[in-house]
Amino acid sequence: MRRKKKSFPVKPALLLGAAGLLLLGSTVGSTRAALTYYSENYSAQVDMSSIGVSLLENGETVSSRDYTSDGAWEGGTEGTLLTNLLGEGEKITPGKTYDEKLSVANSGNIDTFVRVILTKSWQDGDGAKDTTLSPDLIELGLTEGSGWVQADVESSPERVVLYYTEALAPGETTEDLCDSIRISHEVANQVTKVTEGNTIRYVYDYSGYSFTLDAEVDAVQTHNAQDAIKSAWGVDVNISADGQSLSLQ
Amino acid sequence: MRRKWNKKPVVLAAAALVLTASAFADDAMAYFTTYSSATGSVTMDLGFTETVPEEEVDAEGKHVRIANVGDYDCFVRVKVFSVIEVGYEPSEGWTQGSDGYWYYEPVLAAGETTPELLITYELPDASEEGGTDEFDIIVVQECTPVVYDEAGNPIPDWDNVIISEGTE
Repeated sequence: MRRKKKSFPVKPALLLGAAGLLLLGSTVGSTRAALTYYSENYSAQVDMSSIGVSLLENGETVSSRDYTSDGAWEGGTEGTLLTNLLGEGEKITPGKTYDEKLSVANSGNIDTFVRVILTKSWQDGDGAKDTTLSPDLIELGLTEGSGWVQADVESSPERVVLYYTEALAPGETTEDLCDSIRISHEVANQVTKVTEGNTIRYVYDYSGYSFTLDAEVDAVQTHNAQDAIKSAWGVDVNISADGQSLSLQ
Repeated sequence: MRRKWNKKPVVLAAAALVLTASAFADDAMAYFTTYSSATGSVTMDLGFTETVPEEEVDAEGKHVRIANVGDYDCFVRVKVFSVIEVGYEPSEGWTQGSDGYWYYEPVLAAGETTPELLITYELPDASEEGGTDEFDIIVVQECTPVVYDEAGNPIPDWDNVIISEGTE
């Protein structure tokens, strides 16, 4: 008897072939995309790897974090503010306005959008945070018409979130987002009368307390900025058609 | 006869789709971001200063100066009580208020002394009726810390004063 010839499974073979083609196609596509990506941006790739941002206080860089071409981060991320607020032997005076100019510089090699988060707080004599004292008594002179806009939804009496509306080119510095700091003169009204024998004296309730200012600056690429900002900062923004300016939603 | 379902191609196709999808996912996560931060703190060293009247009596009258011997800037004012009539020859900075006080208008910085406020008088004739050769001119001086108004101008806060007096 002639053995029956086993039939070739056409359909599974077709499916297998299709799957193989799909897999191959995806690999090729991916590789091609990667090649295109790198070849188109080859000269820019060096730039792309050099995102950087610096925080300036009264014109001096107080902290920065730059990505270098060799793949490392450079700069001290934790800077110090308010070191030169007072002169030698000078004491802080309630109600007096002190210079505190804060701005942001693009210390990388690609355009960026930047934002700054300022946080104000009080500490008691032991350094413990005292949330019963109002952060409103620490008054920041936020500038108007400087390109910085406050995100009211994200801000609170303790926290101020500011976005710079223009893309920042490499080497460029923003306008000052803040130009002064002042402790409200209301602090001086908080006194306690102390009677010792025939002597009456007054003691300031806030004496020995410290006020603290924190500033965090964030930068993100301008390429595909809307998605990048949503991904990095979790906020929705509008980007102009030319990709050079930002507005809050 | 029931046809046997061939799983292998389906699994391969699914694997191809997952690979394709993961290729896009990698792209979406490649955003360039950076951050930097700084912090600073200043301790409030608030206090009331101490002022001392410096008084000197001579033929011209009583020369009064106020010295700020404390650690904080302040404003000062003086009031004179006397049984006899007195006159005033103020140096620059001293002005008479409507409340009977003489105000030194500039801020008196820690360690500084005001220019003098000369209090003049005529000695009463002890031989006349009601006359006396002993009398007191009491100078009460007050100081108050410097605060700043909304416009940033230094102003006194006369609701919180430290009082001391000199007598001669």
